[in-house]
Amino acid sequence: MATFEPVLTKGVGQLDLTDVAAYRKNGGFVALEKALKDMTPESIIAEVTASNLRGRGGAGFPTGKKWGFLPKDGRPRYLVCNCDEAEPGTFKDHMLLEQTPLQLIEGLILSAYAINAAHIVVYIRGEFLEGYRIFMRALSAAREAGYVGDNLLGSGYSADILVHRGAGAYICGEETAMLESIEGKRGEPRLKPPFPANAGLFGMPTVVNNVETLCCIPHILTRGAAWFASIGPPKSPGPKIISVSGQVQKPGNYEIPMGLPAGELLQDYAGGLLPGRTLKAIQPGGGSSAAIFAEDLHTGIDYDSLAAKQTMLGSGGFVVMDDTTCMVRASMTLVRFFEYESCGQCTPCREGGQWVHRILRRLEAGEGSDADLLVLNTINDTLTGTNLCPLGDSIMPFLLSVLRRFPQEFAEHVTLAGCPFDPARRMVAA
Amino acid sequence: MAEHGDAQAALIPFLQYCQEQDGYVTQQAVSDAAALTGITDGEVESIVSFYSLLFQHPVGKHIIHACRTLSCMLGGADRLHEHIRRRLGVRNGETSADGEFTYQEVECLAACDKAPCLQHNLQFHYNVTPEEFDRLLETWRAQPAGAALPAE
Amino acid sequence: MSADRPAASRRMVNVVIDGSALSVPEGTLVVEAAKLAGTSVPVYCYHPKMDPVGLCRICLVEIEKTPKLQIACATRVTEGMVVHTSSERVAQARNGVLEFLLLNHPLDCPICDKGGECDLQDFTMSYGPGLSRLTEPKLHKPKRVDLGPTIVLDEERCILCRRCTRFDDEIAQERNLVVIDRGHRSLIGTSDGGPYRSYFSGNTTEICPVGALTSKAYRFRARPWDLTHADSVCAQCSVGCNFRIDSRFGRIMRTFTRENLEIDDGWICDRGRYTFNYLYEPTRLRRPLMRRGDDLAECSLDDAAALCAEKLGPAARAGRVGVIGGGRLSDEEAFALQAFARQVLGTNNIDYRVHLQKFASPARFGARLIDIDDASLVLMFGAYTPEQAPILDLRLRRAVARHHTQLMYIGPYRPHLPVEAQYVEYTPGAIADLMMQLADTVHQGRTESGDGFVADIARRLAQAEKIIAVHNGRDPASVSALDRLLETLAGYNHRVGVLVVGSQGNARGAEAAGCVPNLGPGYAPCSGEAGMTTGEMLKAAADGALDALFIAGANPALTFADGALARRALENVPFLAVAEQVLTETAALADIVFPTASFAEKRGHVTNLEGRRQAFGQAVEPPVDVLSDAEIIALVARAMGHAESVSPQPAALLAGLVRAESAAERSVGDLLPRAKVDAVQPAAVEKVDATHRTFTIIPVPHLYSGGGAVAHDPGTAPMRPRPYAIVNPEDAARVGVVPGERLTLSGSGGSIDVEARVGPQAPVGVALVLADMPEAPANKLLDASGFGTATISKAASVPEQRSLERVSA
Repeated sequence: MATFEPVLTKGVGQLDLTDVAAYRKNGGFVALEKALKDMTPESIIAEVTASNLRGRGGAGFPTGKKWGFLPKDGRPRYLVCNCDEAEPGTFKDHMLLEQTPLQLIEGLILSAYAINAAHIVVYIRGEFLEGYRIFMRALSAAREAGYVGDNLLGSGYSADILVHRGAGAYICGEETAMLESIEGKRGEPRLKPPFPANAGLFGMPTVVNNVETLCCIPHILTRGAAWFASIGPPKSPGPKIISVSGQVQKPGNYEIPMGLPAGELLQDYAGGLLPGRTLKAIQPGGGSSAAIFAEDLHTGIDYDSLAAKQTMLGSGGFVVMDDTTCMVRASMTLVRFFEYESCGQCTPCREGGQWVHRILRRLEAGEGSDADLLVLNTINDTLTGTNLCPLGDSIMPFLLSVLRRFPQEFAEHVTLAGCPFDPARRMVAA
Repeated sequence: MAEHGDAQAALIPFLQYCQEQDGYVTQQAVSDAAALTGITDGEVESIVSFYSLLFQHPVGKHIIHACRTLSCMLGGADRLHEHIRRRLGVRNGETSADGEFTYQEVECLAACDKAPCLQHNLQFHYNVTPEEFDRLLETWRAQPAGAALPAE
Repeated sequence: MSADRPAASRRMVNVVIDGSALSVPEGTLVVEAAKLAGTSVPVYCYHPKMDPVGLCRICLVEIEKTPKLQIACATRVTEGMVVHTSSERVAQARNGVLEFLLLNHPLDCPICDKGGECDLQDFTMSYGPGLSRLTEPKLHKPKRVDLGPTIVLDEERCILCRRCTRFDDEIAQERNLVVIDRGHRSLIGTSDGGPYRSYFSGNTTEICPVGALTSKAYRFRARPWDLTHADSVCAQCSVGCNFRIDSRFGRIMRTFTRENLEIDDGWICDRGRYTFNYLYEPTRLRRPLMRRGDDLAECSLDDAAALCAEKLGPAARAGRVGVIGGGRLSDEEAFALQAFARQVLGTNNIDYRVHLQKFASPARFGARLIDIDDASLVLMFGAYTPEQAPILDLRLRRAVARHHTQLMYIGPYRPHLPVEAQYVEYTPGAIADLMMQLADTVHQGRTESGDGFVADIARRLAQAEKIIAVHNGRDPASVSALDRLLETLAGYNHRVGVLVVGSQGNARGAEAAGCVPNLGPGYAPCSGEAGMTTGEMLKAAADGALDALFIAGANPALTFADGALARRALENVPFLAVAEQVLTETAALADIVFPTASFAEKRGHVTNLEGRRQAFGQAVEPPVDVLSDAEIIALVARAMGHAESVSPQPAALLAGLVRAESAAERSVGDLLPRAKVDAVQPAAVEKVDATHRTFTIIPVPHLYSGGGAVAHDPGTAPMRPRPYAIVNPEDAARVGVVPGERLTLSGSGGSIDVEARVGPQAPVGVALVLADMPEAPANKLLDASGFGTATISKAASVPEQRSLERVSA
């Protein structure tokens, strides 16, 4: 079993970390007390920048740098927390929200203090009703304990947290769509520029950070940037929660040091494959990421190592597929996701997504043709890289990676006029 | 939120509240929301139609959201969904004949380690087998239904 | 380019587009810069009048040093930018976008109205794939969605560029047309599937790049390549929007915008766009009519002219003749009409004013429509531009919504305005006083210290750098008071200007051509004593002091303020000749009716409310016996032996008008002389007690009200309002008025039945009555001031639906 000492998930599953006393006992609010007493906003930003913390939402943008983009023009600033976790295979923010909400609150207050945000808004996915309730209870407990509200710990700094519940739209995880949604509009991504740092929520300078990113902040301030930067590869360091699911013995959230080889995560943390199965493909970074395969198990789980394999760390949703899984069906399931969740603004994403979905569905139903395979092999050129936001670019990576790796499996769907994994064709109905 | 921006920021919470009261976003709620936020009825409906958790038509007292995305698919969601559809006598997106249950296959619910998962009135149920679903169905039938989608 | 574009600054930057180097203002959109470079980038969602949204992705271009393709519609040029609009990568991306757009697009081009002028067809031919790779049935969406009175929507043809919804949002500021649902399931729709009602709806059919939004009036009527185009100017209101009339085999098929940035900014309203099918209705007059007892019977043109000559000659010699009209004629014809009065009939009894309007031009401080764009404050009083000048209102909406222009509405009631405005509710007779008080307050520098609402307004005036007043030229006292106020403001270096919204399309042209009793062409004082105003002529006719009236393009029976007097006059005058296109309430009382040509059937000039004279061309031929007003006037003049006095030719008439104008030697800045007006005291609003049912009547305009062409047009019939009266909720509760019930309003000149409406627009004690409706003429309740009183009671029975066929008395 793994030996990494958990940071973000320390105490999770053992203590009731929604309780202020328990959270404090677990090391909570030390950073907040220290920062409000001894640290200036500038020194916090410097520390976070020095830690090389990169955004845990998917894009991996350096957090300190993002904070530094805010214009110094005196306009009120917003800190928005992205808790709209909906990336296929990812369930870490869901866990952090429900299990250790005070850690998120501490991260929020620290970050707001660092960037001098006038307002904090937490956007919680609409489906996370339980998480929302837990968070709200934790928030009032934190407020009562003096960690949220006016004149925090006598520092003269005040910050309060507003919570917005989503209403069902994956695209609202895209930061500008999220801002639209908070403003009470359709959650459609904005044309950029202007970027949120300049014109974000209600047109004001805004930073949007992911839950896990914010949860890292207290630890960086408590234990120092050097400690954080020493975990894993220097360019993408730190602890990282990976959501492991699919065909493994022990699916779940695992906190690992960045750079841990994929095979070790699979074997040592997730208990390996089911008995008698062999590995077929792993989607390492959420539904938008391209697959890696058995020969890639030595690859480190971090931003740069996975990028070198033409895929990405993304949100850290690690979905394992063994030899019993049909790649056409897996692709169809993911493409259907993006088709359903596309906001529909851009032509390639809107039309291309539904087309690819229909083709895969037909292949899986045994009604595909060679012409369909040709479309799948060429459509990437016009579908990817031509849209306003990243959703459209997320449709093809997994499909392309498995299509290139298992061309014969796709071809077989045509020649056998059916799915070799589902001879009874029971799955077609969906 | 409206205090921090413009009135429209209150729209979605208001619609969620209306839906909790009425079961769905009624035409009256649309007009009230428009009046509250200073936008048109058409704009309100455009926004309502964008979000999958806002309903423009009456739905059952029990709303079942069954996840169909990759991890749940790998965990046997297809077999579960087939079972639910047969059991309720509905297709995806429909409401049972008695008007009690609305069934929707939805995208990733972020509980992939406990696949297949579903939500009943936004309460999670994990590792749901067809047999487990039948048990759940009995308890749902027995319990007095609260608001299908609580707004809090 | 529209004035909205934020970016383009004066600093020039050097760019290279497809190998050609050019210098363009920094911040110019690449798509616009490409036009300057002589190349064109295909666009669907982009429209130069609206904010770029970057949705359709057809305009992707390659920009050196940028790895991904960029959208030309939203990317702004920077120094040294090198753009390729037709590289291999660009071609592939365009081809891909077109392939996606065509996937589920129904290829019903053979029966699609847009076929032949469709951007999807055109770009597919230029850049698209030759073959479809879709091997399964296309997805289906609703076709033939009835979107309201003017438009049918085909959701399958829609490419979701959102030009229409953005037009309704950014341009019309109405936001009723929206996107419903998301992803590829998205549809264009309205609240609860209701009708898309907008005075500007037709514009969406034009900007739709495909055949998704089609006009009911034009559906399946013609192919675009079979149409003959004529450049025209709309004369339905005083804005003077430029448009194009498209005809086939001599029949008008549709009308189309003809962008004039300074006037219409490329838009027209639906009344202007759709009011042409009345020409092909049975109610359109095609033969001259002569009275035989109670009936009007067809006759020849020569017989009609001969009878006119026979009756007008003696009346003229006795000095007992009058001429009414001009506001609905061309400039040339208005000139001909006054020449006919003065030179043929020898009288100054000529007046174009048959509505409440007294003046059509500002005496000083003229303004252009574009002055609204950057006005700091627009002061509207009397006029109600959403109904009376929709395209002017569009400009105003944009200025208020996007350029921080403030709008102040001063009037006797509180109409609904589509944009934010400050309302100053003021009794009709007191507006002049208010203007004077404001002038004094501004002049005495009391704006900073005073309190009370006069001081408030004065303060806002003082803070406004540029002030444009929009009024209706109706109340001479308030117009003079306004002049004084503006004079004061101009003295403090405010930029000021006035726009007078005409109640007839060519009111300003008629005034300038001399169709008033004391001024000739070019506002030159006429020779001899001033003649009678319309009011005086009607009074004289009613009293038996006139023997003949000649009316061209005017309907005083319906529109003159004192309706009872007008009807009495028209019934009593021994001889009445009327030139009209349809049998109006006035024409129905005539002894001779000449059928006249519409604007589409003649050519000439019209002068809009700015004083801008614009040429319009002839689109189609009139029916055989139908002449232009100028030809009719010339025909009658010839029959009277004055062939030399009035030419039927527009060119000759215009030359005469221009000659007269230059002879008047008026120079810029001169105070224009004012037309003679009747001394009328605007009625003061009576105070009502708690029980009685007498209300002050204020007539209110509606875009589709009127008794002429618009009352007979099948295209605009669905938009016609039913006559109504609006009372304040307080009054409704007091006297028991229920919305929707039928009311009878009884006044001095008779009674009318209307539908009851209740709303806060009406002040307490006031009933706002829809004006100019033939089935319920509000002018039965009014006196010469344009206001009146009436008692309200429940109607005895439900009246039958008004027939479109006939509205004669």
